[in-house]
Amino acid sequence: MMAGIIDLILSIIFYPPIYQLVLVGLTGALVVVIFIIWFERKATARVQRRLGPYHISPRLAGLPQLVADLIRYAFQEVIIPKTVDKELFVLAPIVATVLSILPIAVVPLTSNPAYWPIPMDYSMLVALALTTVSPIFLIVAGWASNNKFSIIGGVREAFVITAYELIAIMSILSASAAVLSFNLVDIVEAQRIWYILLNPIAFLAAFLAVLMATSGFPFEIPESENEVVAGPFTEYSGLLYGLNMGAAYMKRFAFSILIALVFLGGWSPFTPGEGILSGYLIPSLIVVAKATILMMIFSLTRSIYGRFRLDQALEGAWRLVFPMAVLGFGLALLEAYLGVM
Amino acid sequence: MSVWVYGEQKSELGLEGTITRKLEEDLYEVFIGPQHPGSGHMRIIIRIDGDIIVEADPDMGYVHRTMEKLSEGREWIKNVPLFERMAIHDACNVTVSYVMALERILGIEPPPRAKYLRTLLCEINRIAAHLYGFGIFGVFIGHSTMYMWSFADREVMVELAEKLTGARLTHSYPIPGGARRDMPQDFPQAARKAVRYFRRRLDEYRKIFLDNPVTRKRLEGVGIIPKKIAAELGVVGPVARASGIKYDARLAEPYDAYDEVEFEVPVYEEGDALARAWVKFEEIKQSLRIIEQAVDWLEKHPREAPIHERFWAKAPPLWKKVFEAEGRVKLLPLMANLKLPPGRAMARSETARGEIVYYVESDGKTTPYRVRIVSPSARNAIVFKYIAPGYKVMDLPTIYGSIDYFPPEADR
Amino acid sequence: MSLDQARRIAEEALSGIEYRVDEGKGFIEFIVAKENLVEAASRLKKAGFDHVKSLTVVDYKAEDKFKIVYHASSYLNEDLAKAIVGIGTEVPRSNPKVPTLVYVWRSVEFQEREVFEFFGIEFEDHPDLRLLLLAPQIAEKKPLRKDFIVKEEPIIRTKPPTG
Repeated sequence: MMAGIIDLILSIIFYPPIYQLVLVGLTGALVVVIFIIWFERKATARVQRRLGPYHISPRLAGLPQLVADLIRYAFQEVIIPKTVDKELFVLAPIVATVLSILPIAVVPLTSNPAYWPIPMDYSMLVALALTTVSPIFLIVAGWASNNKFSIIGGVREAFVITAYELIAIMSILSASAAVLSFNLVDIVEAQRIWYILLNPIAFLAAFLAVLMATSGFPFEIPESENEVVAGPFTEYSGLLYGLNMGAAYMKRFAFSILIALVFLGGWSPFTPGEGILSGYLIPSLIVVAKATILMMIFSLTRSIYGRFRLDQALEGAWRLVFPMAVLGFGLALLEAYLGVM
Repeated sequence: MSVWVYGEQKSELGLEGTITRKLEEDLYEVFIGPQHPGSGHMRIIIRIDGDIIVEADPDMGYVHRTMEKLSEGREWIKNVPLFERMAIHDACNVTVSYVMALERILGIEPPPRAKYLRTLLCEINRIAAHLYGFGIFGVFIGHSTMYMWSFADREVMVELAEKLTGARLTHSYPIPGGARRDMPQDFPQAARKAVRYFRRRLDEYRKIFLDNPVTRKRLEGVGIIPKKIAAELGVVGPVARASGIKYDARLAEPYDAYDEVEFEVPVYEEGDALARAWVKFEEIKQSLRIIEQAVDWLEKHPREAPIHERFWAKAPPLWKKVFEAEGRVKLLPLMANLKLPPGRAMARSETARGEIVYYVESDGKTTPYRVRIVSPSARNAIVFKYIAPGYKVMDLPTIYGSIDYFPPEADR
Repeated sequence: MSLDQARRIAEEALSGIEYRVDEGKGFIEFIVAKENLVEAASRLKKAGFDHVKSLTVVDYKAEDKFKIVYHASSYLNEDLAKAIVGIGTEVPRSNPKVPTLVYVWRSVEFQEREVFEFFGIEFEDHPDLRLLLLAPQIAEKKPLRKDFIVKEEPIIRTKPPTG
């Protein structure tokens, strides 16, 4: 009886989508996000001629600062104003955070079928579909807050979603058009030359779309402090606020993993073999490292740019980046026709 | 719009209800400030239709200190530190015209050395205040690098001012008949070093902020004030000059050493937020030029007491001894009970944000009868009401930052 | 252009209206009757004085009058910009009402609101005569009038501790 329960628990834990979500998704994302936020603070501080985080462990250059911040958020009082829609107000940030990390549960981090979370035939479609769910809950958070600034922020979020979603999906899907497969493993394996070199237009469009999706700096519009305080998160405090802030980075991580697989050759130059070390650990680390480098590039924009106005961002997205994504898709079709990949 | 009173029954009982105004349909009223990261110590009530501002009502007075009334109860000299509190980072520019008005009533002119010293500090203050404005502007449009850079570099000018006057911000430097003290011996080197440093840095500012494509996109064509409207609204300073109005109090009525030093007044025709940023940027360059010239002049000419001889003659022996030994002059004791003859005077000076006007009336006592101050931000506040409507909500911080509105100065 | 030339231009503009000249240091004032204020101001504006620098009100309690002066100058005419010319009127303290000049000079709109709350002077026909800086309770006391006296808080000196 006891053994049966333990077996059951073990089988749940070692059910591939679950352990990938827990191992790479939650633990990995947390570590990467801590590193990225530290890097973002340090890099911005370097540009802006100041120190950045310093006081928590000066020897590590303030690296554990975010851990301290998380602990602070965790123990801060969560104030739930009387005027809000309580259930949605509490649920929205939690669901948004969970959903933003969910795409990781379906991406392969190795070509060894033993470590695939799900059958891979349509994995890219599933991953892309999952990325589109979480932003809804930011709008929900804004509406549930019952605050004018939150609502304006939520509406802005909605505008931005309509702008970036199509671009992100089209530009990432262009890879499957080139390879004629929705299988992420096929796409990675097909990249003798990294796809970024074959189709830089699609990569650029995807890059900008991810920047918009995760409130990266020229597009940090829904939370724009000087008009709408903190956008959808104006009424939030404590852990819920921390979750809201974390969700954007989680989402950026999920997108970065996807881009690392599709555009940056996934686990290449390594060829996954048998066994957990070379079959799962090394290739997944390579993918995460590529994603981290991508995120580091994302975070540099903060110190260079201000923010666009909403209409300018939308105009740029529809007039410039969307045609770019279409062009990238066309290029992918051309490459498929010529048999480049 | 009609005035509505909530609860008719309550008003029958003699209780006043909340007076509210019924909004036009489809309008959304947003109160920006005073507890808002993008408002400063003021509130702007905006009514928006979709994303467009249709009505903006600046609600000022959150940091009002009744300086005009307070000044009536203080001795003439004590009003200098009081008026400084309007804009502490622009202290010399703000008070120099008050002091000039007093000098006009007294009928004296400060000695040339004092004039140059005042000019020097005024320009140091102008740069510091412009950098402050740039920093706030940067953070308003989300450009944190500009914010950090200009606030860090402002420190250079603040320290220069400290070297000159002994105080970082509220210098209380100009006094009737002169300046409070002379510059220290090693000041010229420090000033030249700062000027060299700023010349280099300004180029970097231009690259990261003014020529940044995102910033340009945000600022170009936003908050346009045509020349005629600018004159009609009576806007001042960089706001007016960005609209093509060639007006600068330093040119119109040269005070201190401004008729002797060489400088240009940058005027732009566009009248938008970008032009206002450029005016400020170019003014920093001109201020650097003036600082160099003032320092050169001060170095070349022999030290003399930077105060009118009428006051210096009455200085106690200790003051003269200190001046001979160390070359510095402290505030004269007779200043405390200074009596002005009856009379009225007006004076204007160009602060970083624009022209400040003082009307001073004396009835022969040791305190003013009336001081009227019109500060630049108070005159620029009208821009919110007449220029902001028609632009988008996200343009409001741009307009706010570009006119460099400073609530403590506007509220006085 | 000196103040004298500006004075001549203003005098020319005001010809036909009775006025009194009040001179100060650095400016000049033309005091007209209340009825002629709007006419005089619009003539000055036509002469080139396009904005108001300061709406100055002084409370002469001993003479029982308010002196309301609009100190105007020019932006578009660079010569006139060098002078400050005031146009004003005097009203009794018991009945402080003057016609508004907002429709002549839009730049006085906020300053008239300010004077309204500080002195209780009503500007007839002002489009938006509300309080600007003060809270209603304080504005009731009309703080810049001379009968409002600021109570100085006494300076409390304590002897430094000895020993």
